[in-house]
Amino acid sequence: MKYDSIIIGGGLSGLVAGLRLIKKQKKVAVFSLGQSALHFSSGSFGLLGSVDGHLVESPVDAMGSLPAAHPYSRLGKDHAASLVAEVKGFFADAGIKLKGDAGRNSSRVTPLGMLKPAWLTLEDFVTADDLRNKKKCTIINFKGFLDFYPDFLGAKLEAAGMKVNKAEIVLETIEHLRKQTELRASIIGRTLKDADIAKLASQINAVAVDSDVVLVPAVIGYTSDKHFNDLRAKVNVPVFAVATTPMSVCGMRMQTMLRRRFEQLGGTYFLGDQVSDGHFAHDGRLESIATVNLGDDRLYADNFVLATGGFFGHGLVAEPKKVIEPIFGLDVEVPSDHDLWVDKDFFATQPYMSFGLSTDDKFHPLKDGKPVVNLYAVGAALGGYDALKEDSGAGVAILTALNAADIIAK
Amino acid sequence: MNERKSPKSYDVIIIGAGATGAGTARDCAMRGLSTLLVERLDFTAGATGRNHGLLHSGARYAVTDQESATECIKENMILRRVARHCVEETGGLFVTLPEDDLAYQKLFIEQCQKAGIDAKAIDPKEALRLEPAVNKDIIGAVTVPDGAVDPFRLTVANVVDARRHGADVLTYHEVVRLVMDGPRVVGVEVRDAKTGEKTVIESKLVINAAGIWGHGVAAKAGITINMFPAKGALLIFGHRVNNVVINRCRKPADADILVPGDTISLIGTTSSRVPYDSVDNMEVTQDEVDILLSEGCKIAPSLAYTRILRAYAGVRPLIASDNDPSGRSISRGIVCLDHAQRDGVEGFITISGGKLMTYRLMAQWATDMACRKLGVVAKCETADKPLPGSEPEQGDKVRSTKAHIIELSTEQRASLGRHGTMADEISFDDNTADDALVCECEQVSVGEIKYAIEKLHANNLVNVRRRTRMGMGTCQGGICSCRTSAILAKKLGDKAALADLKSFVNERWKGMRPVAWGQTLVEANFMAWIYEGVCGLDKNEQK
Amino acid sequence: MEIQEKNISRDNFEQCIKCTICTVYCPVLAARPEYPGPKQAGPDGERYRLKDPEFYDAALKYCLNCKRCEVACPSNVKIGDIIQRARLKYDKKPVKLRDRMLAETDFVGSLATTVAPVTNFFLGLPVTKKVLNATIGVDEHRQFPKYAGCKFESWFKREAAPAQSQYSKKVAYFHGCYVNYNNPKLGRDFVKIMNALGYGVQLLEKEKCCGVAKIANKLIDRAKHDAKINLASIRAAVEQGMPLLGTSSTCMFTMRDEYPHLLDLDNADVRDSMLLATAFIARLVENGKAKLVFRSDYHKRITYHTPCHMQKLGWAIYSLNLLRSIPGIEMVPIESACCGIAGTYGFKKENYTTSQAIGKELFDSILAANVDLVATDCETCKWQIEMSTGVPVENPISIIADALDVEATIKANRK
Repeated sequence: MKYDSIIIGGGLSGLVAGLRLIKKQKKVAVFSLGQSALHFSSGSFGLLGSVDGHLVESPVDAMGSLPAAHPYSRLGKDHAASLVAEVKGFFADAGIKLKGDAGRNSSRVTPLGMLKPAWLTLEDFVTADDLRNKKKCTIINFKGFLDFYPDFLGAKLEAAGMKVNKAEIVLETIEHLRKQTELRASIIGRTLKDADIAKLASQINAVAVDSDVVLVPAVIGYTSDKHFNDLRAKVNVPVFAVATTPMSVCGMRMQTMLRRRFEQLGGTYFLGDQVSDGHFAHDGRLESIATVNLGDDRLYADNFVLATGGFFGHGLVAEPKKVIEPIFGLDVEVPSDHDLWVDKDFFATQPYMSFGLSTDDKFHPLKDGKPVVNLYAVGAALGGYDALKEDSGAGVAILTALNAADIIAK
Repeated sequence: MNERKSPKSYDVIIIGAGATGAGTARDCAMRGLSTLLVERLDFTAGATGRNHGLLHSGARYAVTDQESATECIKENMILRRVARHCVEETGGLFVTLPEDDLAYQKLFIEQCQKAGIDAKAIDPKEALRLEPAVNKDIIGAVTVPDGAVDPFRLTVANVVDARRHGADVLTYHEVVRLVMDGPRVVGVEVRDAKTGEKTVIESKLVINAAGIWGHGVAAKAGITINMFPAKGALLIFGHRVNNVVINRCRKPADADILVPGDTISLIGTTSSRVPYDSVDNMEVTQDEVDILLSEGCKIAPSLAYTRILRAYAGVRPLIASDNDPSGRSISRGIVCLDHAQRDGVEGFITISGGKLMTYRLMAQWATDMACRKLGVVAKCETADKPLPGSEPEQGDKVRSTKAHIIELSTEQRASLGRHGTMADEISFDDNTADDALVCECEQVSVGEIKYAIEKLHANNLVNVRRRTRMGMGTCQGGICSCRTSAILAKKLGDKAALADLKSFVNERWKGMRPVAWGQTLVEANFMAWIYEGVCGLDKNEQK
Repeated sequence: MEIQEKNISRDNFEQCIKCTICTVYCPVLAARPEYPGPKQAGPDGERYRLKDPEFYDAALKYCLNCKRCEVACPSNVKIGDIIQRARLKYDKKPVKLRDRMLAETDFVGSLATTVAPVTNFFLGLPVTKKVLNATIGVDEHRQFPKYAGCKFESWFKREAAPAQSQYSKKVAYFHGCYVNYNNPKLGRDFVKIMNALGYGVQLLEKEKCCGVAKIANKLIDRAKHDAKINLASIRAAVEQGMPLLGTSSTCMFTMRDEYPHLLDLDNADVRDSMLLATAFIARLVENGKAKLVFRSDYHKRITYHTPCHMQKLGWAIYSLNLLRSIPGIEMVPIESACCGIAGTYGFKKENYTTSQAIGKELFDSILAANVDLVATDCETCKWQIEMSTGVPVENPISIIADALDVEATIKANRK
């Protein structure tokens, strides 16, 4: 089969690249080994939350202070800033409504009540701004749901001067689930029906009488934001979601909505297929790839995007003394002494987090030292940045994907 | 002096709640002594919790140390009876590789039989049928009555029974001073790790069962014991590789025992002398990992590609004979010292050396000596009376379950395995959501966590892990630590619980780090996303 | 290989990092929560079963074997295979008569076909359904697939076989039980298309049921016996240069993937030669080696349902591309979801409610799509969707055959 562009990897960066390309090209395919890391989303995207352990006020301004190897530095500050300006609209086109401003970081509220820098946050999620001037908060949880922590969250809110009221809701639908199986955010999200939302709303109204804000675990609305909006319409005070520990229902939602939009526009999404090898031409261009499912029906494209992710997505695979790129054998440079990959303190900077493919300054990965000029690496497969320490994972994924798509479509 | 004094005084205070200390507390209490067990950290925090979990048949020592071998086989048979729920009767194999000397096998079997160990040579083909994980190139195989024993359960069962017989138990209380009345020890001063408060507790007798830390305890009475810390490193594999213990039939050396324990298998050990001041912080080195793997693969080739969950190391308290301060003639046998005879200090006994296998015998020796000193005549019954959890089953105790399509849910079955008959005390009440699963890898429910916290002295996540296996499975706590922390927070308060959560995640990482490649690195990466990313825990104190 | 360079285990069991994504996409877990779900039934449970087979959980029988967990897994763990192999290995309960009857699709089929009108009449009677429901536990709501009066094989030998020798290019056809006993028209449609494209069709020397129902009902020895016969015939065909084509996604999936994974039969030498007919034709068209010409008077509004095994095969693209190439077809996209039937699963009385609950999402979206016809590559999905929505369902091959301008196609492919 022949495509204009093929994207390997169907998570955030792969879908963003695919969606950008399908608006300009006819035949675009995305291959995804399985479901993506979006399923662990916090509900927010980070662009640049901190540099060298110091919180950043304006992520766009702070991009200038990053080392040369950082993906943002390689994009160039101005180019990065121009892409940043498009992101909200880009997601809105897929039906994903985000709040936030790249000129000033906001703070997302974690399931444990901590504050973490955020760039864009899903409309239904709470940020510190949403709690400003609020005096009394009701935190809702479902009986037996273990992945949400009203006690931890409440303690932090109380420390910040709020009055906190905690309420455990018993919904028949969820009780039935709970007595049969393990309550996870995802199964609650899948099971709640319109009627349950109405019941939930009336129970919340009954317990949150004198509160001026209500926080609920982010388990509502796994394929769209409809249920959350219904809940908001029925509850008398503002309602916001707080992330749960995995699964992330909002992440499943974003994955579904991005993919749905991509397919609506004519893109083809291959889920559960593994790219097994690539054929390179004499000039070093990638000509075609093969997959496990499609066998000897090779896939040809003018350009390829490598959005396979880092270790979690298996874009990088660690062996005891080296790190490899498993599909094409692209160049990855890491120290051979394993002790240099890791720090003794789990919460310190872990060198392995910044490992990635060697690329040239246009994000073409190197194979045996030479760039593959029709292949673009995007997202977590890239090295030179620490997504967790910087709160920059989503930003790098989105901006490098948009950049690659723009170059290809030119 | 204006010091806090415990209103209660005891016949005997035992320092150290490893298997030996807990076993001694049980024995003393059963013989009617008023008993206090004090522990600076948690039960099994030392060498007891950091070994193979091998129910030695004694065969390993048959050629080099007949005395140990004989002790082992006797204790082996006793534990099968009295500690049923801690023991798995897997059987063991001693295999000879092509590079080993088959002649050793003959000597080995002779010496085993001399010690009373039922060792039989079998056809290597038969050995492969018994245990398919064994290297198919073996040229000889011997069956022995090895097994697996869970040191965490064993110790806790001893504590529970000591308590049932009236003993008191203090964990997180460090002995900072031995109270002396002239040349006689008359009690201890302990410091509460949580409050920092110090208390003097009087007793007629103090038993030092502090393992390698016993060196320091003795020093508080001005006594020198020549202890030599010997580090042993082990690797834990992600699932059971073997169901029969595999040993190498040669003189004991590195990485020659592969033991199946609960849901995993472990290979060990290395052996190296370490400086005394390093015993509180054992790190496994890359060299040790390499040796364990390269040697381990020889007895079970599948270890070459089986995922490793973590690496850890323990410290054996080896004691040099008193007439050899150089430490060359080290005994692995039991050392029971009456410091009145040895050093002229009355009221003080040290029980050390030995091994997990002989903890009960060590306890018996120490208790015998204590009774003699206190003039109490009472028979030791620990070889006959089953430990709590291992009592004979009484009728059909199967309860209704969450999923009525199966007779017993997996977590109930798993907890039965872990706590034996004590599992009856665990609530699986679905009205209180106690049946919800916290640790999915090791099948630990909310009820079991609550039971550990309320009944088994679990004060933090590490304690809960030792009592229940929470966090010991494939995800190494990635999914369950936060859930458990929320339950613990009811006891600890949210600030302390979060600090504990961070330290627990770091403790899990400590074991993963030396083997952080392949999916173990992915697991660590995933863990970092959850705890640092989604939850927002970080290096700094939180705002 | 260097020590620890790779972690290898059967079914990639050790690759599981407990991320839990599989549980999100399990259709059974949502409809029947007492099923422990793919993570616990699969890799989690496997650690316990390795310790002690007593930990085998009878609830594993609720697994549909749809493999949607495997499709979702980011670490390539063969979760469905782990569960199915555990069932085969540890579930020692004897197979029920009902399950045997449902599983022996070829034996029962050949009995039923000979007396088809009688069989259909009786299977259609409410009283028969009640009796089946009460005696052997086949759910009374089920409509039985009708048995054809004449087997496909008989038709082929009589009507089609002689003409096939005129074609220089040839393919082998695995018709499966469904085409043979219930829907010979699909087989005839396949022959019609292939002949129009200039390919002769041959049947296998010996064809047995692919075994999917036998595997699902634990008749593993019988399944293996049949599979060996099939593989031998397939090898013979491939050696003569013929690819093996089928019109059922489930048969093809079973022979390609379940044979090596669950029956331990190595098929690596012929695996890539076993293709769904739509995949074969779509590739020919894509590569310019064949051309389909369609009638201008064919107009239909259609949606395509991706059967679970088709999702796992990853071949929906081929059927979709072919359908899209028919000018008179308006395609309405729907999201992929399980229909709930899973072969013989939904026929069992104890599973009826679950089966319908699983399919509800799909039924709703099909009804909302307001189409003339649903296209799908699996026969059991067809029964389930027709029964539950009333919307007719056809195999893409039959749709293509109906829309095909045979004369023009023959002309276009004659060189």
